[in-house]
Amino acid sequence: MNRRSALEYCGRAMLALVMAWAIACSDHAVARFPHELHLAGIACGGPGKPACLTCVSCHSPGTGAQLPSLPPVGRCASCHHADAGRLRAEIAAPGARPYGRIAFDHDRHLALEGTLGQCVSCHSGVVEAGGPRLPPMSKCLGCHEHEAQWQRGTCAPCHALAEVRRVLPQSFLRHEGDFMEHHGTSAVQQKKLCQACHTQADCEGCHDASQDLSVEHRRPEAVQRNFAHRADFMTRHAIEAQSQPARCVRCHTIESCDSCHLARGVSGGLIAGRNPHPPGWVGSNAGARSFHGAAARRDILLCASCHDQGPATNCIRCHKVGAYGGNPHPSGWKSTRSETSQMCRYCHD
Amino acid sequence: MRSLLQPLVAASLSLVLERAALAEPVPPPDRYSFFVHGETHAELFQSALLPGSYGAVVRRDTALPVYQYVLLEARDQNIARQQTGLDMELAAWSRAELGSTTAQAPLDGDVQTANVGYHRGPLVLRLGRQHVAGGAARYSRFDGLLVNAQLGGDFEGQAYVGLTVLPRWDRPSYTYLGAAADSDLKNPALSSGTRERRDYWLGGARLGWGTRNVRAGLSFHEQHESGGLSRRTLTLDETMDLPGAVSAGASASAELEAERISEARIWLDAAATPTLDLSLEWLHTEPALFLSRQSVLSVFSADDYDEGGTRAALRASERITIEGGAWLELYTGSRPGARSELALRVIADRSGSTFVRLAYARVLTPDNGYHTLRSSLTRRIMARLSGTLEAYAYLYDRAIRTYRTSTVYSGTLEYRPIPALGLLWGASLVRSPYASLDAQTQLRVAYDFDFSTVRSTP
Repeated sequence: MNRRSALEYCGRAMLALVMAWAIACSDHAVARFPHELHLAGIACGGPGKPACLTCVSCHSPGTGAQLPSLPPVGRCASCHHADAGRLRAEIAAPGARPYGRIAFDHDRHLALEGTLGQCVSCHSGVVEAGGPRLPPMSKCLGCHEHEAQWQRGTCAPCHALAEVRRVLPQSFLRHEGDFMEHHGTSAVQQKKLCQACHTQADCEGCHDASQDLSVEHRRPEAVQRNFAHRADFMTRHAIEAQSQPARCVRCHTIESCDSCHLARGVSGGLIAGRNPHPPGWVGSNAGARSFHGAAARRDILLCASCHDQGPATNCIRCHKVGAYGGNPHPSGWKSTRSETSQMCRYCHD
Repeated sequence: MRSLLQPLVAASLSLVLERAALAEPVPPPDRYSFFVHGETHAELFQSALLPGSYGAVVRRDTALPVYQYVLLEARDQNIARQQTGLDMELAAWSRAELGSTTAQAPLDGDVQTANVGYHRGPLVLRLGRQHVAGGAARYSRFDGLLVNAQLGGDFEGQAYVGLTVLPRWDRPSYTYLGAAADSDLKNPALSSGTRERRDYWLGGARLGWGTRNVRAGLSFHEQHESGGLSRRTLTLDETMDLPGAVSAGASASAELEAERISEARIWLDAAATPTLDLSLEWLHTEPALFLSRQSVLSVFSADDYDEGGTRAALRASERITIEGGAWLELYTGSRPGARSELALRVIADRSGSTFVRLAYARVLTPDNGYHTLRSSLTRRIMARLSGTLEAYAYLYDRAIRTYRTSTVYSGTLEYRPIPALGLLWGASLVRSPYASLDAQTQLRVAYDFDFSTVRSTP
């Protein structure tokens, strides 16, 4: 395949993007209720005009885990004569609730001195562009001290536990920055906090490399994520392994590499296996020039993915004591191991 | 090692049990949660092992694997109030091959986690299949016992011991190194023979200390395999929250048998302004130290490499975010490698129901590299229906199997009639050096059952 056809493929990808963008900008999605228009954009209160609306004109604050109730269809019909039923059905559709259900007593909070009975002190996004329609958790913590619960990772009973696991944190624990690179440290330092939302099985979803179905297959809709094995990883896997040596073996064992390579005939454990190395990779005699040594020093894990068969490792044939391959240990090599250990005896027997 | 662990565990147990006995139980309402999550996946595709063993061309085979995932989790919610309680977790998957006649294992499956936890005051005991993550353990799965305890004075202790969970120990296609299936092709006399599960065990401990803004810990992990020591690691980790929405951390691991640093990492995450997140990271690694100490290749190299990088996210407006990152890898005696990515995330409509992401990435390694362009769309089509579209293009610096490119198109539709039930259909088309055309489709049904209860203590 030449570079021209490669560019054609890129072009197709761009075309797909443009089409996607066009669909996106058609803006036919479910519209949320235009609160601002109803609260501040309608001429009201005068002769021949409708009564001015407030929040409680339509909503009855709920208590406990209940949500504020939606208005009856008759409330819409007082102005929207023809299509009140359709409008009611639209606003009754479940909206995005990024936090899940919250156990919250609206009546009690509306009665507080600082709230003055105003819903917008928390739901400012209803009337102000850029404000939150639903208050972030930082709003709650502005008054409530939850340090102890935070340290213990206790989200219930404010949050419904089952729902917390289905939502992403909005204002706290956003896993921002380069969190994925060092999340292991957080996992050991703040176990309870992690366990408030995550089970051990969540970790296994990515780290259990022996399961047949990778996380990319289990979560194909998570297009915002940069999963490690996304999209045609098979072709890229050698490049990715070289790009970050030692990253693969955090989840995979060397046996995993060799088992797959063995099945495809490229393992060093096979007598007639295909040799993927270029000419001159290994010298034909003691004086011949070869390239494999420097490559092995730089990323020995790459070698191990095909050439680590214990006592049958073919490197031993040339590099054992007395053979013509020479001393394979790096300069300044030292080890606390005894030469009588099983592994050392492969060469030092 | 066992002789060291036993008194350590015994001392920890006696200390925390004593503390537990002194704790005055307060009887608030007893609350439990019991949560079940299941996923059923059905995939349909034609598969062929290309090029097949020794380059052989093999016939294609229609595959219809059906996967079942299940998670059962029970928690005593009062555990957080330092009371006695039990919790349980079981996660498992299975696969039934309905289409293929040549599948090596028509029925397959594994238990991912299966453990019971007992909580009493500051003490937690967990028994069964579980994992320990972070610190010296890195990520280790084992069948055994873990003890965790609050030791007072902001200190926390943890110890664990058990048999290592090896990846699919009895899988038909799995070949362990030195096994007859692998090595007898060269020299049967060198085969390491059958493996005994009892030869693969691990143990470790961690002492942690933490306040509201500073956390640190010292951990030790030792793992054995058939033939002897696999690794013996000591790790020091530390993170701190600094003023101005800045957090910093560092960790360093030493491989005690080799007496060298296997990995060191420093990072800084800063929300520099309300619209800018910035991260800096430096990593030092010696790859050979990630091999088992029983690997003959582990003594062939002591070269290390360094990686430095940064990632930034700029919220240019309410609906537009620009993300970027770049990392440089410096190897000993070799030309450097690099990775970089630039992405644009846009909420494409006022209702917030359409999300578009466009990303370009570049990867360079000493031997090869690639450019990639990825475009993604997520759209909430109706109240309960959402969909995604994605297109990827990869352009490799050097041909792989004589091909320079890969392209991937994929899409999903998900219908969620109720929050606890989701139906997803997905499909993908791939052209790559390994498949002139790879078409796959899948159906996923995901369901939750939440039996959480609130009841009064008798």
